[in-house]
Amino acid sequence: MTTLPVVAPAALQAAAVQHPETAHVGHRRNKPLAVVSYLLMLVVVVIYAYPLLFLINTALKSNNEFLVNPTGLVQSPQLANFASAWRQGNFGAYVLNSVLYTFVAAGLGTVMSLLVGFPVARGYVKHPRVWQGLFAAMLFLPNTLVTVFQLALRLGLYDTALGYILIMASGVGVGPLLVTGYLSSIPREIDEAAAMDGAGYLRYLFTFLPRLMAPVLSTVFILQAIGVWNDIILATILFPDQTKWPVTLGLFAFKGTYTSQWSLLSAATLIVAAPLLTAYLFLQRYLVASVVGGAVKG
Amino acid sequence: MSGSKVASRSYIVFGRRSTAQLTFALGIALVVVFSLVPAVGILVISFTDIRSLPYLATHWVGLENYQTFFSSAQLAYNLSALRNTFVFAIAVTIFQNLIALLIAVLLNQRLRGRNLARAVVFLPTILGVTVIGLIFSLIFNPSAGPAARVWAAFGASSAFFGDPKLAMTLVIFVQVWSGIGVAVVIYLAGLQAIPSELYEVASIDGATAWQRLRFVTIPLLAPSVTANTLLCIIGSLQSYQLIYVLTGPINPATQVLSLAIFTQGFGGPQGGTVQSQGYAAAISIVQFVIVAVVSLAALAYLRRRETSL
Repeated sequence: MTTLPVVAPAALQAAAVQHPETAHVGHRRNKPLAVVSYLLMLVVVVIYAYPLLFLINTALKSNNEFLVNPTGLVQSPQLANFASAWRQGNFGAYVLNSVLYTFVAAGLGTVMSLLVGFPVARGYVKHPRVWQGLFAAMLFLPNTLVTVFQLALRLGLYDTALGYILIMASGVGVGPLLVTGYLSSIPREIDEAAAMDGAGYLRYLFTFLPRLMAPVLSTVFILQAIGVWNDIILATILFPDQTKWPVTLGLFAFKGTYTSQWSLLSAATLIVAAPLLTAYLFLQRYLVASVVGGAVKG
Repeated sequence: MSGSKVASRSYIVFGRRSTAQLTFALGIALVVVFSLVPAVGILVISFTDIRSLPYLATHWVGLENYQTFFSSAQLAYNLSALRNTFVFAIAVTIFQNLIALLIAVLLNQRLRGRNLARAVVFLPTILGVTVIGLIFSLIFNPSAGPAARVWAAFGASSAFFGDPKLAMTLVIFVQVWSGIGVAVVIYLAGLQAIPSELYEVASIDGATAWQRLRFVTIPLLAPSVTANTLLCIIGSLQSYQLIYVLTGPINPATQVLSLAIFTQGFGGPQGGTVQSQGYAAAISIVQFVIVAVVSLAALAYLRRRETSL
């Protein structure tokens, strides 16, 4: 992206990782200000944590308890809510679909980003600058819902998992740009050394490079995986067949069916959110760096 | 590496060039078929009456879809969608940037627990619209939600997302709530890139906290402001997924242009109506032009501001 101001990737890393010494303080001698700061931080945390905690609280209530006391703290936690939500919402099948779509589409998208990014970065194809420009232009496309739908319809990919996965995978977004950007920091001598040792092109691409480019490839994968896992619109227009729905659509339909059974709905929402929350707990740094790196590039 | 190799087309070190070109073509082909062809196709089919049933014949209709967009029958609806789009985009851009900047300045101080706070603020970014939509439907559910409790404490009641006067405000709130994390992290990165010596020098010169913010932080943070504002403008002019989940596809109070594309093209929550999708494509093009014009104008303005600060 030449047109957008880009925050240095190093600075982004610094934001994701903790660098206490870089933070400017100097206000610390100022006691009242520190108290105000802590209070404000508490407010921020509450505004963000409360909705989630309230969701968990509601998910643990029986329907009766919710009716009697909708906003109070749960008295007798009902773990059975999760089992009934899982069963009644058929979430097992939806989760499996989502896992399949997410891993295959994001995996394919990452491989594609590498396959097109590497030769452009190394100048193995004609007009690398034109391709770079194309990768950048792809970030500013019009809303293509209608044509994507028509394309799927006419290629016989409507209502098929394959069609959904291919369309999702092709939304590589900043992937190729991130790959070419990162490759400029990997010297060509490494390519040459590997070639000298007899590595073929594809072997180099898929066994050597992933080790060298692990940070950027995981960023590309994570960005796309979040997009696929959370998609609801494309799935809505491509899948009339319920059995192919991803978990987001399953949850949305569940909301339509059990409109006012909030404890059941909350349990279902938590089921859908659980994989994301778990991933966030363990991969927080990578996720933050990935999403922000991708957003700024875009 | 000798200079002669660094031509526009470099010497390939892996023997034959064909493998590289073949796999490149394969990757590009997928992107072209499923991303670029649909993007160009949108313009093409906006001049047709293509329908969602493949066996119905498609005709060229020239500018008819665009005329329909501005016709008296549709104008009121479309103007309201346009107004909603701009209200949504402007409010989200302003509030998201302002609050994100304040949170970033706050969390850039050496406070205990600030990493937890940063993590919590960023969390909605990965949760996705469906989960966020359900969480806030629960919080704002009119009969028994905590928001209803607060309203009741003031002797009021509200249908929240069902109230045409309040729906847009709430949707904006939820959008800002969920989008702020990315902006905060970008601002934090910008803040940490400012050398601390500048603050020391300013303090020695007797600058107050406000003056340090105004004359050190804000000018040096201008590139981050530009990045965040543009991201926010482009994102909010095109965003509709959250609105769809929170208030449904046909709620006039929150009808934005991109949601109108979905509604006109696919009728409702499930696709398959026989109305012309060419009209929806025409709306896509109108929206594309608006996004392009607004973001280029904003970019030009922000770049100029950056240098004058």
